[in-house]
Amino acid sequence: MRFLHTADWQMGMRAESVGKVADRVREARLAAARRVVEAARDHKAEMLLLTGDVFEDNGVDRVLVRKVGEILRCFAGPVYIIPGNHDPLSPGSVWEHPVWKEADNIRVCTRREPIDLDSCVLFPCPLREKYSSKDPTSWIKAHDASKPAIGLAHGNVEGIPSGEPDYPIPRDAAARSGLDYLALGHWHSFARYENSQGECRMAYSGTHETTKFGERDSGNALVVEISRRGAPPSLAPIRTGSLEWRSTEHSVSQPLSLESLVQQLSGIAEPGSTLVRMRLDGLLFPEDRDALKQLDEILTSRFLFGVLDATGLTPAPDGEGWIESLPAGPFRDAAQKLRALASNASDPGQRAVASQALLQLFDLCERSRS
Amino acid sequence: MILHSLRAAHWRSILEPVEIGPFAEGLNVIHAPNGTGKSSLFEAMRCALFDAHIVTGKDIEAVRPWGRSLAPQATVEFSKTGVRYRIEKTFLDGASARLLRLEGGRFVPIADGRNADSMLREILDATDAPGRGLSKQEHWGLAQVLWAPQGTLKLDSLSSSVSESLRAALGVQLTGEKGTRLEVLLEDEYLSFFTKGGKLRTGKDAAPILAVELECAEVNRERQRLLEQKRSFEEAARAVEDARQRRAQARRDAEGLEEPLAQTRRLAESFQRLQSDLQIKRQAEQAAKERCDSIGRTIELIANARQEIARIKAQIERDEAVLRDVAVELKTAVERAEECRWRRDEARAGRDSLKQRTAEIEDAREFLSDTKARQILGTRLDKLRQLESAVATLRQSRARLVAPDDTTIREVRKHLAAREKAETKIEASLIRLTIRPQYDAIVTRKSPKETKTVRAGEDATFAGSPEVSLEVDGFGRIVASGPEMDVEALREEMAGAENKVAKLTQPYGTQDADRLQLLRDQAKDLDQKIATLDGQIEELVGDETPEDLQRQLAELDARILERTGRFPVWKNQPPALSGLQSAFDARSKEIETAAVQAEDAFEGARSGAQAVEKRHAETEVGLNNARLNLEAANRRLDDLTRDALSDTARREVRKEALMAWEVARTQAGECEAKLAEIGDDPGKSLEKLERQFETHQGAEAAARDDENKAEGRLQTLAAEGAYSKLAACDEKRADLEAGIRREKLRMDALRLLHDTVASCKAAAVAAVAAPVERAASRMLARVAGPRLGTLRLTGQFVPAGVQPESLAEAVGLENLSGGEEEQLFLVTRLALGDVLARDERQLVVLDDVLNATDTGRLARMLVLLEEASSRLQIVILTCHPERYRALEQATFFDLVRPA
Repeated sequence: MRFLHTADWQMGMRAESVGKVADRVREARLAAARRVVEAARDHKAEMLLLTGDVFEDNGVDRVLVRKVGEILRCFAGPVYIIPGNHDPLSPGSVWEHPVWKEADNIRVCTRREPIDLDSCVLFPCPLREKYSSKDPTSWIKAHDASKPAIGLAHGNVEGIPSGEPDYPIPRDAAARSGLDYLALGHWHSFARYENSQGECRMAYSGTHETTKFGERDSGNALVVEISRRGAPPSLAPIRTGSLEWRSTEHSVSQPLSLESLVQQLSGIAEPGSTLVRMRLDGLLFPEDRDALKQLDEILTSRFLFGVLDATGLTPAPDGEGWIESLPAGPFRDAAQKLRALASNASDPGQRAVASQALLQLFDLCERSRS
Repeated sequence: MILHSLRAAHWRSILEPVEIGPFAEGLNVIHAPNGTGKSSLFEAMRCALFDAHIVTGKDIEAVRPWGRSLAPQATVEFSKTGVRYRIEKTFLDGASARLLRLEGGRFVPIADGRNADSMLREILDATDAPGRGLSKQEHWGLAQVLWAPQGTLKLDSLSSSVSESLRAALGVQLTGEKGTRLEVLLEDEYLSFFTKGGKLRTGKDAAPILAVELECAEVNRERQRLLEQKRSFEEAARAVEDARQRRAQARRDAEGLEEPLAQTRRLAESFQRLQSDLQIKRQAEQAAKERCDSIGRTIELIANARQEIARIKAQIERDEAVLRDVAVELKTAVERAEECRWRRDEARAGRDSLKQRTAEIEDAREFLSDTKARQILGTRLDKLRQLESAVATLRQSRARLVAPDDTTIREVRKHLAAREKAETKIEASLIRLTIRPQYDAIVTRKSPKETKTVRAGEDATFAGSPEVSLEVDGFGRIVASGPEMDVEALREEMAGAENKVAKLTQPYGTQDADRLQLLRDQAKDLDQKIATLDGQIEELVGDETPEDLQRQLAELDARILERTGRFPVWKNQPPALSGLQSAFDARSKEIETAAVQAEDAFEGARSGAQAVEKRHAETEVGLNNARLNLEAANRRLDDLTRDALSDTARREVRKEALMAWEVARTQAGECEAKLAEIGDDPGKSLEKLERQFETHQGAEAAARDDENKAEGRLQTLAAEGAYSKLAACDEKRADLEAGIRREKLRMDALRLLHDTVASCKAAAVAAVAAPVERAASRMLARVAGPRLGTLRLTGQFVPAGVQPESLAEAVGLENLSGGEEEQLFLVTRLALGDVLARDERQLVVLDDVLNATDTGRLARMLVLLEEASSRLQIVILTCHPERYRALEQATFFDLVRPA
């Protein structure tokens, strides 16, 4: 049998870090959901398993809930969903929306009880609250199943760095419960857990569309195939995300180094679906001021979202070009003071202000010449 | 600025128009005596250049010539940056302003009214316009430094704009043209965010960050509202969950009670039914028992009635026999008692005779008593009559004696003494004239008229007051007089006393006090005797009156007479009481003994008869009762046997009833045993369980209501999509905050840049100002010598003190003499004027200065002025033109005698 495993759609999530394009980021998540359904259809998946956190919160806009319901309704096969810790099964939750009852193919699993299907038995582990220290899979007893036993759970597999134990799931949960495959949600990156025989019987599909900068191996869904009860499942990640989140940090120590960064940015293929966060630190040479401006312009104008953090740059101490370009007298004196402050102040904020002041002085100086 | 000409009219003391000019571009001296209008001319120039033509207030009113309704007028011709202007202004009545510019050799108007005022200020760089009233020094622009009105040579402070101008002038020298443009750009950039004072711009041209911050604050408020909404959503969800939990728990509690409730209900129904059965069976048992008992009691009662009838009949027979015997006995006892009664009555008749004797003895005793009382009472009455007769006699004597009381006697004695005193005084006051004629002489006294013949050799004394005047025949008048005294008053006093004595003693026939006292003593003696006799009478009579005594005497007489009527012998021989008593006692004893014996016998017989009579009556009553009982027993027997059954048949019926009772008792016992198996009444448990069940159902219903309400609210809140709105709000907030951070960085950087440049420039200005200090110091040294050392200026270009070479610290201006002080300020103004005149010659006006400067220093100062006039136009107003005659290059203007 073959099915598609996906999770952590986080529909309606807030995207504070991307400012005004947050709506587009959210729209992209809906588009990615459509691609998940298309992928399931393309890979002839018998069913679609959503293992929690379909929504970012139970308080999301109900129109969004309907949109998601309608997307899943388009899938020809059955869809099994478990509520996650972001959208737990609680009064007023998104799961009370009528769209779930209207769609014949969607079943929101609200009970911890086996669902006996023709080709397999599902063991859903719906969550009812945001936090718990209890293993959600502990109830599963699938050793006696005659058909492939598939668990649906949402939580933290032991070993994932996390503060307090939150829905902890043992690394051998699948074997312990007698499951052929345990479909997991909660972790946004694709992750597989192999047993001592090298078999992977539990995995996080990761989120179907990357949610933030710094997220690894996200934007996928998993096509899972199990030939028979006891046979090791085969897992194939399918790319479903459309947005690329790039977070880069560069340290500048040589003049004209920023030119290469400009080239790099210019080389990105699909800037309209790319979000870039660039951090610079090190030295700012007079020769690089134009490149710095260019970087900022490219980031803010060409990409879906771009932000440049150059507060870590300080004017190069031996860059006399800074000073010589200014009129002699108080302005040169002021520039020297500002450069000293930018280089030597103990407070990074003060250094950034001094650097910025110096840049403004040179900007004004250029304007006065024009 | 260069001044060309000046014209004023109707300005304080200037009535007729006064025009001075054209002025030289170097030195000019305007001179005139005091009060001829030099300072007024200078004032007119200031007003024309710096004051609005429509200025009002008491200051401009004071400009109008005294006692005249003339409108002050002023016209000034001047050049600025090579352009020649003329300003014409009329103040107060018909106020007007016209600014003209020399174009093609003639003045052409370029602005009038307010426009002329404002354009002129722009031309003169006097940016600080005055408010109400005339302008002050701070409104004069650069003229603050260059012009010194009368008495104000001292430089205390300069307006910020002038300081700025000075700095600007110095700055141009520091940074050059490129630096100035950069400075302007920086200043423009800075002022687009901040005020000159360094505060954030607000209002119409507010810094952009303020609008963003406002928007951010609005977003924060919206965020708070959405957070609250989201919290409400979560609370509503929790409330629904709680209600569901409560409802489920109540449902479970109710379900848990359903089975025990059903069992208890069934048990209670059985218990109820058994109780009902038991009651019926007990009633049947009771009925059977009662029937059995009733039949048994009837049988028993019948037997009892029969026995009783037999017994009563036997009793009646016995009572009838006894009654007959008692009747015979009673007759005998009655007869004997009648006989004893007769004998007793006989004995009692003897007692009656004793009563008569007792009465006689009593009469004798009372007779004797009355006789004795009659004697005593008679004696008392006789004595009473004697005393009353004596009292009557004394009372008559007393009535005849009229005597005063003690008070009257004291009054009489007092007035007699007064009369004697008055007589003595009169006597003492009289003039006594005694004549003893040698021959008989007729002596006539005029007052009182008296004629008396006095024999020869005899003394004749005449007394009078206040004088005694005598006419002696053949001799003449003799008048004797003495000291005047009020004899008449004394006489009146004496007459008054006599009247009072007469009035008091009139009833007694004498005015002799002793006699009156004797009368008083006699009256007292009589009163005493009467009182004594009255006491005796009172003692004799006691509480009774003489009439009472008389009546008692009559009563005694009547009683004695009545007894002597019944016992006539007592008239002559009073009875012997003891003899009568002895005879009575002997007879009494005899009769009493017989009577007692007869009475005892009678009492015994009567008691016996009464006892028999009582027994007879009792027997009779018993017999009657027995007969009545017999009738009742017969009636009862009739009632008991009314069933017409035989005794045998009745016993059979009782046996059947006994069996029925036994059956009923057995059935009730069985029922009771079943109840005992159940135990206590399960109704109470059932009631308790039902109440619990209802409570759980109620709790379930309440929880359902809560749940429905909370669900309704939850659905409403869920439909709001609070999280999505909050997310959008957070994103907007983050975007705005990022913008604020960027803008703040930019502004902080701009401020830092501005302040850093300003501080560097200030240091440079300070460095550039040093030559000004040096120039002024040099001039001062040329005038006053090296003693004062170096002049020190403040950051505002105002002299702060001097730094003598010999001293480590600067010396304050207050330590300078008046002459040195005015020299110091003048050289400072000239040095600053040099700075301001770098690009254009500037006008310096000095009104009546250097008055405290000695001739030697004045001469040196004039040299300086001549040197300065190569760069500055200098106009000096003075009333001492001779002091400035040394200025060979100067143009002199005589205000009184114009050329």
